[in-house]
Amino acid sequence: MLKFLTIFTTLTVAAIIFIVPPVQGLGNLAKIIYFHIPTAWVSVIAFFCSAFFAAKFLKSQELKFDKLSAKSAKLGFIFVLLATISGAIFSKLTWGAYWNWDPRQTTIFVLILIYGAYLTLRSAVTDEKIRAKVSAVYSLLSVLTVPFLVFIIPRMYFSLHPEPILNQAGKLEMDTEILIILIAALVDTTIIFIYLLRQKAM
Amino acid sequence: MTEQIATIFWKDFLVGLRRKATFAAMMMFALTTMAALSLSMRGAVVENNFLAALLWIVIFFATSAGISGTFDDEQAAGTLSTLKIYAAPQAILFGKMLFTLASLIALTIFLLPTFLILFDCSAGNIFLLITTVLAGVIGFSAAGTLTAALTTSASVKGGLFPILLFPVTLPIFLPTISLTESAFNSETFSAELLIILLSFDAILLVASSILFDYLD
Repeated sequence: MLKFLTIFTTLTVAAIIFIVPPVQGLGNLAKIIYFHIPTAWVSVIAFFCSAFFAAKFLKSQELKFDKLSAKSAKLGFIFVLLATISGAIFSKLTWGAYWNWDPRQTTIFVLILIYGAYLTLRSAVTDEKIRAKVSAVYSLLSVLTVPFLVFIIPRMYFSLHPEPILNQAGKLEMDTEILIILIAALVDTTIIFIYLLRQKAM
Repeated sequence: MTEQIATIFWKDFLVGLRRKATFAAMMMFALTTMAALSLSMRGAVVENNFLAALLWIVIFFATSAGISGTFDDEQAAGTLSTLKIYAAPQAILFGKMLFTLASLIALTIFLLPTFLILFDCSAGNIFLLITTVLAGVIGFSAAGTLTAALTTSASVKGGLFPILLFPVTLPIFLPTISLTESAFNSETFSAELLIILLSFDAILLVASSILFDYLD
């Protein structure tokens, strides 16, 4: 598994460096977008993973689900920080400022707050069983904000953020070559997440 | 069920009257933050959108100071388990929630006029302002009661409550600020925002009720 992952990652990174043409007017640094999109994607996946395992824990009361939920959140926290920082760098390149509370930036910042709150809560409760229950409940409570962040915030504030890859019109405005590499990067990062999630020591 | 809710509400009310510490701390917290803000501005003219944000920041943190200990006293006295034997979990939740709501309404009855006077702000559309504040504190008490139940078992409590409450109540927080601004300006407000606010109140109420059952 690790061998495959190393080769796949190396190939993807090489493709991004050597095959993808530099973005017009932005240069090579703009290739950070190939890091930004996958990390942002995984931070959202990890959030739902954590909530999913929290729900499984509450149903079954088996502590292994609590461990998985906690691990997803820890990994998600790292990925969301990476996504935020890379996004801020890209934002400086294209919009001229690191931060301006664009709806997407608001959403990702709330995600940081939720992950941070969840992990703080975990560290504040000492009893293992109570900690599992309490953090599972909080994890599910925080999922309720998702419809607000996804559907309502973009309506309340004006956005400069590029359309997501799967935009509302349902068409892809990308070259095939770039699209393939981007999808490879997404798949690669998702496998890295799953690999880390299955590690015992964390 | 209704009887149990009423009894728990009444019990908390009597305990609150006898030991005024929590309530006094919440009021003084609100007064202190308002004084700190008003003093540091030294009479500068502030835009209404900024004032609306300030008002809700004060309400949010005063709420945190006031209701974070909703279950703590009983946990410390060791009577929480007795309470759980006496009443159904849902009755405990809604009894506590009603009491929280009552304290928050009392808080805003004091806070709102003081704020308007200190910041020399005229509430243009008073009806909208009251509706917004009421809808806001309903959401805060729904999410706050469940959050208070979560933090009760934490060993380190300092600052934990607002950290947990803020992301969860963001869907309440942002629309209320926009609506309050409209009320200050007495301009036409967005009915859509009011609907969003009320539906999140409902969502938080239902979710707290469902999730509370898993806590014991």
